[in-house]
Amino acid sequence: MKNMTKIAAGAALGLWGTMAQAADDLTLQLKWVTQAQFAGYYVAKDKGFYEEEGLNVTIKPGGPDIAPEQVIVGGGADVIVTWMAAGLAARERGVPLVNIAQPFKTGGLQVNCLKSTGVESTDDFAGRTMGVWFYGNEYPFYAWMASLGLETDGADDNGVTVLKQAFSADPLIQGQADCISTMTYNEYRQILQAGITPEELVTFNYLDMGFGMLEDGLYVLEDDLEDPAFKDKMVRFVRASMKGWKYAEEHQEEAAEIVIENDASGAQELDHQLYMVGEVAKLTAGSNGTLDEADYAQTVNTLLSAVSEENPAITKEPEGAWTHAITDEALN
Amino acid sequence: MGWIVFALAAWALGWLLNVWLARQPVTWWSSLAAPVIFGLTLLAVWEGVVRGFEINQVLLPAPTAIAARIGSSADLLWADFAQTVLKGALSGYVIGCGAAFLIAVAVDRFPFLQRGLLPVGNFVAALPVIGMAPILVMWFGFDWQSKAAVVVVMVFFPMLVNTVQGLQAADAMQKDLMRTYAAGYWRTLLKLRLPAAMPFIFNGLKIGTTLALIGAIVAEFFGSPIVGMGFRISTSVGQLTLDLVWAEIFVAALAGSAFYGVMALVEQRVTFWHPSQRN
Repeated sequence: MKNMTKIAAGAALGLWGTMAQAADDLTLQLKWVTQAQFAGYYVAKDKGFYEEEGLNVTIKPGGPDIAPEQVIVGGGADVIVTWMAAGLAARERGVPLVNIAQPFKTGGLQVNCLKSTGVESTDDFAGRTMGVWFYGNEYPFYAWMASLGLETDGADDNGVTVLKQAFSADPLIQGQADCISTMTYNEYRQILQAGITPEELVTFNYLDMGFGMLEDGLYVLEDDLEDPAFKDKMVRFVRASMKGWKYAEEHQEEAAEIVIENDASGAQELDHQLYMVGEVAKLTAGSNGTLDEADYAQTVNTLLSAVSEENPAITKEPEGAWTHAITDEALN
Repeated sequence: MGWIVFALAAWALGWLLNVWLARQPVTWWSSLAAPVIFGLTLLAVWEGVVRGFEINQVLLPAPTAIAARIGSSADLLWADFAQTVLKGALSGYVIGCGAAFLIAVAVDRFPFLQRGLLPVGNFVAALPVIGMAPILVMWFGFDWQSKAAVVVVMVFFPMLVNTVQGLQAADAMQKDLMRTYAAGYWRTLLKLRLPAAMPFIFNGLKIGTTLALIGAIVAEFFGSPIVGMGFRISTSVGQLTLDLVWAEIFVAALAGSAFYGVMALVEQRVTFWHPSQRN
């Protein structure tokens, strides 16, 4: 009888042991297509950082018609990469997203104008045509226009015409817009490749102007965090992801190659990814993964400074939209 | 729980009502009532399921929430409708169908055009709208003109093929009769061949109504001013205001049905002689 108990206990322990060793499945939904913007996650997967933490991570690429917030609430992902404005907007609409880590310290969103059209400073904006992407990119734009006292209902003495531009630099090159939105790591290079030199451009960086919004962060659903097993999984995930990001910063060429290898669409080119890794490294350089409360406050203030029907990001101060619980445990 | 019971009850009630209706002698109101009851049942079940299972409104808003949004955003919806349907779709439809009709007559008159133009038309029709739209936006700008251009390309080919086919519908005996009357080409065209082609032409026109709407909405995904149904649908998904997306879908469905209905009504008046219109 005593032996039986021992055997049973031993079997149970053995079972528990193998269960602990079996990798935990985890799905990450990206905000955009496979590119070096997400190099850290691909590096962490490829270099086995996730495996070391006992995780089996599936990385799902996104695209223009995929809202990560919708995917996570539908159960298609455990954790998503999204911009804070979109995360807070989703939270106010009943998707309780929580920021658990912030690999991007600074943002790559900017506005580029052609000097030849006569735009030198923000004083020249009235009567101009400006390209905006929407999908979350419009929030800081409307906040910026509101602070300049410009309306967005059409070009006149105190207003600008807003275009919804596609994700390319064409409108500026074709002369359909005086100013367009660009990311430092993507469309800005397209403009330069079209033969326009940096000297011919005026660049307005949202962060420098004080309308910064935190870009790529990691978000999970609030209810999931109450589960200790899920929390533990996230701690390991964030630790491995940040290791991936720091590795990507130091080994940029290798990171670009890893991104290319993981691009199932085959659409990305190595030299562009190499450029993007370099630009993205500048954005992640200042972060160890922990969300800076001051940056969070600036994002919220930007969003709240221009609340209108056109700009329905958030209408009131969010509560509980971020936590240090994961990063504190993962990184310290 | 109560809402799930409500959904089940609504479904059972709708079913019973329609079964009862089906056993009654057919009158004009009972043939109208059956689909209406079915539609209302669907809406009630939708409402009950969304509330009963507490489905997040980001995934699927309840019909009442959509109705409330239609009420509160009526101005916005009207501006989008005017931009996309009245400016983009309708002007493109008129230009595209008009041009296709004229070219069809020319193609019919000169056989060498038939051999040269139809294959090219075939090729253009095979271009997918999502491949074409960004290029046309680049050429014709962000406003409704580029949307109309997409619509022109989309409706042109079905209209052309149908009209060419229709112009061959008059048979040899009828043409011989016109010849014995000493009618020339133009008179034969106006009095015999075009009327005989009308059922085919209306086929093209009816296919074009839905294509025009699809073209105008999808083209707005690739660059637009900040008004329009396609713009609103694509950006509202990003802002997670799904009730507004559904409101736009409702307007699009309504506009599409009305557009098609009007064409079908005109067809009934014009081709009253055709066997398919006799009751």
